[in-house]
Amino acid sequence: MSSSIKVARYQLIYPGLLVIAPWIVLAGTFVINLLPTVIRGGPNPTKALASIFAFMVFVGMLTIVRSLPFALALGASRRSFYLGTVTLVVALSAVYGLAIAGLQAVERATGGWGVSMSFFQPQYILTGAWYLTWLTSFVCLVLLFVYGTWFGLIQQRWDTFGLLVFVFGQVTVALVIIFIVGGNHDWHRVGHFFTTITAAGLTGLLAAVAAALCAGGFALIRGVTV
Amino acid sequence: MLDDATPIFSQIAERLADEIADGELAEGDRVPSTNELAAFYRINPATAAKGVNVLIDDGLLEKRRGIGMFVAAGARDRLLGDRRQRFAERYVEPMVAEANRLGLDEDALVDLVLECSRAQEALER
Amino acid sequence: MTPVISLTRLTRRYRDVLALDEVTLDIDGPSITGLLGRNGAGKTTLLRIIAAQEFASDGRIAVLGGDPVENEAILPHIAFVREDQAFPKFRVRHALNAASLFYPNWSAELARELAADFELPLNRWVGRLSRGMRSALGAVIGLAARADVTLFDEPYAGLDAVARRMFYDRLLADYAEHPRTVLLSTHLIDEVSGLLERVVMLDRGRIVIDAGADDVRGAFIRVSGAAAAVEEFVAGRAVLERRRIASQETAVVAGGMDDGDRPWAQELHVSLEPLSLQQVLIHTSVQAGRPPKEGTTV
Repeated sequence: MSSSIKVARYQLIYPGLLVIAPWIVLAGTFVINLLPTVIRGGPNPTKALASIFAFMVFVGMLTIVRSLPFALALGASRRSFYLGTVTLVVALSAVYGLAIAGLQAVERATGGWGVSMSFFQPQYILTGAWYLTWLTSFVCLVLLFVYGTWFGLIQQRWDTFGLLVFVFGQVTVALVIIFIVGGNHDWHRVGHFFTTITAAGLTGLLAAVAAALCAGGFALIRGVTV
Repeated sequence: MLDDATPIFSQIAERLADEIADGELAEGDRVPSTNELAAFYRINPATAAKGVNVLIDDGLLEKRRGIGMFVAAGARDRLLGDRRQRFAERYVEPMVAEANRLGLDEDALVDLVLECSRAQEALER
Repeated sequence: MTPVISLTRLTRRYRDVLALDEVTLDIDGPSITGLLGRNGAGKTTLLRIIAAQEFASDGRIAVLGGDPVENEAILPHIAFVREDQAFPKFRVRHALNAASLFYPNWSAELARELAADFELPLNRWVGRLSRGMRSALGAVIGLAARADVTLFDEPYAGLDAVARRMFYDRLLADYAEHPRTVLLSTHLIDEVSGLLERVVMLDRGRIVIDAGADDVRGAFIRVSGAAAAVEEFVAGRAVLERRRIASQETAVVAGGMDDGDRPWAQELHVSLEPLSLQQVLIHTSVQAGRPPKEGTTV
């Protein structure tokens, strides 16, 4: 356990990737969306908040590629690296989720920053109460980070070739699903599923996926050499 | 400083023995510690220790717990005795053999030795 | 006493290449052992396996009494310094800070002194360091960690001669105060020769020499003189090399000089020259089947 704590402290020595970068990305995206809205006038129902979430995938991958080798050189075990890093990200995501919920509250209170921009209230996704926003953001950030680590782990173990297999594999699976669902004209059932499931239910589902990916990542890292 | 073609530990032992034989290290004098020797010669402390142990085993140095290593009583005499013996084996015997090969008889050989000895003395003055 | 590092028939296969071939080795500590061999001999692979950064294909390994792989009781006591270490986005001081987190015996004071000695700019990004500075950083971390098992994989490759001298001196000085088990891989045999108690040489994944350094020094002799005389001297001995020009010959024979040799050589009018550590190792490498590069003189 204490070795995981060491890893968490290690990741925070220079938290450029885990702390500074995501917020720069968020701030940048916010400004890029705010300026035109101010100039042209609202409303602007943007979904650009997705940027910080997408960025987390990148953070996950980079954490493996850049921080793992030196940690192993210093004698951290692979297990404690993964556990310590993911635990740290869970804690950070809880804070970031809260920040997003807070910013959402401010946005609502100011009528979309005075220009009817709904940056922190993407339609269909973060439209509920503040605690649901918090929960959903938190889970999504963790999920995408862990998903990102898979890219890093696969790259370390099986090089670019493995990475390509991973990407094309997912594309193939997605296409197969679309083909099957589309073939059976079952899109309405998919849509029905998503409207009946509550926000909390969806978040629970995502949390389960995150946990599964985490277990998988944990298994993957055992074979990584740097 | 040290040559890399003969065991280093024996070179260390040899050098310390030289200092004792030359009188630079007198009986009862403290000999540098293993770590000091290692640092000076830039060698592994274990190698330095091995060299020192050779002299301890030969009775030329004695270890006093907690204080250090010192030149043992009678060390110089014993060393000189050993070295004279070695001198005879290494230099005198081959010299005599060579002299025989060259056809020098005993007197001629002794004359050569005396000549050499006087030249040496002249140089030293 | 249990060896600090114990390898039993350790093998590492990469597809069709056998990087390590049934390596069996016991290293007791504290000690400084040199790991020598040509490029591609398997030195790096061996060190990486000992540090649990790489996995063996076969055989057993024990470091400080246990298998080091993912072993949190043992890993903190192993320091591994390699030339091509990848760092996160850190400044030099961050890297030293990170090392202090993981190594239980870390000495911040020693790290500071060494960083000053090597003139390491503490605030520079590691990514912007020159090759020499990166090697120096590795050396500082490796030494200040004071780890029970310290592995150096040619970490001074980027250092100039002065810095290398400083590295050897600092290593010896700290080793004297805080003994540990050091395994040092190098090409620069002459430079480190004095530091080593023991030498292990690898050739194509196998151990070809495993002996005390002092036993290897002078283990071969070069005999030079008139061809007939040289032949007479070397009769009955294992001859590792012969070179002739006109009526002169020089040969390298196995076996050190014993008492009878000098007078015999004098009689025959041949000169005897015991070979240095590096020269013996080069000849052993030749014996192991691969000729040395053109133009190498020993």
